[in-house]
Amino acid sequence: MPQFSLTVNNKKYDVEAPADMPLLWVLRDLLNMTGTKYGCGVASCGVCSVIIDGNPVFSCQRTVGSCVNKKIITIEGLSEDGSHPVQKAWEQAGVPQCGYCQPGQMMQVVAMLEKNKRPSEETIDQVMNNVLCRCGTYHRIRKAIHLAIDSLNS
Amino acid sequence: MQKIKTDRRRFLKLSSLASGGLVLGFTLPGLQALALPGEECTHFQPGAYLRIDRKGLVTIFVAKQESGQGVDTALPMIVAEELEVDFRKVKVELAPFGTLPAGMHDTGGSQSVLGMYDTLRKAGAIAKAMLIQAAANSWKVNVTSCAADMGEVVHTPTMKRIGYGELVCEAAKLPIPAEVTLKSPKDFKLIGKSEKRSGLKDILTGKTKYGLDTRVPGMAVAVAVRCPVLGGKLVSYDDTVAKKVPGVLKIVAYKGTGKPMHVRDGVAIIATHTWAAMKAKEMLTVTWDEGSRNEESTVTLFETFASKAGDTPGIEVFKKGDPGNVKGAGKLSADYAQPFLAHATMEPVNFIAEVKGDKCEIWGGLQLPDWAVDTIAKECGFKKPDIKVNLGLMGGAFGRRLHFDFAIEAVKIAQQFDRPVQLVWDRVDDTQFGMFRPANYHRLDAQWDDKGKLVSWKHHVLGTPIAYMIEGPETKNIGEMDGADAGFCYDVPNIHTGYTAVDFNINRGWLRSVDICVNTFPVESFVDEIAGKLKKDPLAFRLSLLENRPDFKTGAEAWALSQSPARVAGVLKLAAEKIGYDKPRKPNHYIGLATHSFIFAKGYAAHAIEVEMVGEKKFRITRVVAAIDCGQVINPDGLLNQMEGGLAFGLTQALKGEITIKDSRVMQDGFFSYELLMYSEMPPLEVHIIPSEAEPGGVGEVGVSTVAPALCNALAAAGHRPRNLPIRNEGFSWV
Repeated sequence: MPQFSLTVNNKKYDVEAPADMPLLWVLRDLLNMTGTKYGCGVASCGVCSVIIDGNPVFSCQRTVGSCVNKKIITIEGLSEDGSHPVQKAWEQAGVPQCGYCQPGQMMQVVAMLEKNKRPSEETIDQVMNNVLCRCGTYHRIRKAIHLAIDSLNS
Repeated sequence: MQKIKTDRRRFLKLSSLASGGLVLGFTLPGLQALALPGEECTHFQPGAYLRIDRKGLVTIFVAKQESGQGVDTALPMIVAEELEVDFRKVKVELAPFGTLPAGMHDTGGSQSVLGMYDTLRKAGAIAKAMLIQAAANSWKVNVTSCAADMGEVVHTPTMKRIGYGELVCEAAKLPIPAEVTLKSPKDFKLIGKSEKRSGLKDILTGKTKYGLDTRVPGMAVAVAVRCPVLGGKLVSYDDTVAKKVPGVLKIVAYKGTGKPMHVRDGVAIIATHTWAAMKAKEMLTVTWDEGSRNEESTVTLFETFASKAGDTPGIEVFKKGDPGNVKGAGKLSADYAQPFLAHATMEPVNFIAEVKGDKCEIWGGLQLPDWAVDTIAKECGFKKPDIKVNLGLMGGAFGRRLHFDFAIEAVKIAQQFDRPVQLVWDRVDDTQFGMFRPANYHRLDAQWDDKGKLVSWKHHVLGTPIAYMIEGPETKNIGEMDGADAGFCYDVPNIHTGYTAVDFNINRGWLRSVDICVNTFPVESFVDEIAGKLKKDPLAFRLSLLENRPDFKTGAEAWALSQSPARVAGVLKLAAEKIGYDKPRKPNHYIGLATHSFIFAKGYAAHAIEVEMVGEKKFRITRVVAAIDCGQVINPDGLLNQMEGGLAFGLTQALKGEITIKDSRVMQDGFFSYELLMYSEMPPLEVHIIPSEAEPGGVGEVGVSTVAPALCNALAAAGHRPRNLPIRNEGFSWV
């Protein structure tokens, strides 16, 4: 079995895995970082979103082999205590119901705001349509995004 | 015609019996935790719902399963209110299975707050009374001179204070009082004020463990291939390629079951990790005997419904007056149809089981754990006490986890493996092997007299009953017809509601808002159509049929539920007022209304939806106003969450939700083909709450059912009446 050296949340990990194993399952099953969720495995729901080299990525679509020498950030890497501005905005807006999709939602927002601190509504719509929420927390996600934008720009 | 008594949903019956039993037996559960003479005192636990340790840490135990509906916040708030503690310092824990009487963990039917309110208030009040007594004893003062405040007892004449933690040993020695006084709602400090949900920080940092995140030492992962046709049989399988996939540990076949859960025959791949199991699944070749019912389709099913809609209903559900002999001055008839629907929880179905000899241990989210354990014991050959249950957090449920087919599967797989196994359903499995909300069809007929007064109402519901799956086609219990009469509040002298069952070879189950949703769409659409035909205003027409009707019961039985047409009217008026129904409208803007009683949970809600037509059958939802009357609100923020979620759920159903079946196979395979509402499609929502101190109703489902009819009534006002959901099948599109 091939070995891969990964950098997740600024820490190095050596994993033994088939080269085509999606990053999602490497995180969840090999590294036991279960904050990144499985929803579909086919890029249809976005709940597995992580950030690789600053870009939002569906971790179910990236093989472990393609992640070597990349900087991977997962929900666990935003902050230990929920102090990242996006997490704080999510807390303030009281977003989650079941909460299962929220790591994916937040990772998309973090990546979006790292590229552009003042995204247009159109950009926000486009980005956030990548992640589904069956509980229907979209209003609060919208509110939280604007809280995060305000705090990043103040 | 077969005549049978209407019955409520099975799980509702289970819950109401259980909660009745608990109120009576209140002082029983958990009393063993009281300190016995000579034993070291560590904490005070009068009953199963709360514990206070010597440091004053208050732990409140929640018997209901959290799946996003907010029970782990609302229920502890009720205890904390009476106990007089700082809610933000309270620790909330799931009550371990087995610490409460059977049925107490049942979670569904919007029953949690409704069923637990009195019990939890008493639990808090009893503990508070004992702590006050303990303080009075230690101070040697009269108990009436002491009061509780923020986790302390105060001697009011001297303002001397002592923390609950210092009182636990003394309190634990006291007898449980036979009577306690509950607070007056006007003195509530916590109930009625918004609180953020418990465990919020863990969710936001990715620490929360859902079922799929649960890890048991030594655990392997399994995925399964199931017979594509319900009732088919496994003939053989070839695993020569699949078992060579690195990480695959074992491949096992398991037999399906009959009612209540209809587990399909399957072959499971057990592997060291999920990816290996999923990869091997692709390489497994399985031969099935599909049986004789492998050619059924939803196209044919709806043709059958339509062909039988004019027949006398198979079952008479409700009759008032003599609608068959009414000769009105005018009449209207219309048919409505709604498809099968899937729950599509974001966390796919999953479950963990470990079998060691004649003992079994299970981990996962279950809305009805007692029934699950009973059934697992029967199907898999265990004694009930030999099954240990560890309940877990659910990433959405919406009724899917009232069913426990996946738990039976996990145990059957674990019986053939020497370590714990986590069964993972992939998204295709989750979409295709669900417990689908039954497809349904409605014919409505109404007549009115020469003054335009409604004189007869006939509603024929045709459906594919859930009870056929749970209890078998011989059942006399047809739950889905309930909403056809139970939630109907319009004052019409002659009414007939009937139900015709059509069997169909796909598994069915309860979906959030259940039969109330099934019936609210046709009823609220048809009332609107009648108003249109009579050239009456849909709001005034509805109010004329509701406002003067006194409260009534739906039957003579002791359990018959009470209905308030005035409250149905009240929420409708409020929604209409807040959307500006009487105000002039902008060009191309239309408003639709719908109201209803969510009878099972004592909640009433209405929606007013404004659309702007931007093209032929193309619209934009510009405003949504909801009004709700659910009695005493526990956590207003939680209520708002449920109304927001209800809108998303209802809109998904109205716009695009549909499971179709061909050759007895589900044609959708995930979110690309079973689409959910997306972020950009969520319209703005205003929620208005009718203030009330009435018994608190459940709010998890009340916000769903009026969304589709309110939207359809707005589109009808614009000139296009949709009678089939989802409306995109009728050529509608939206921006």
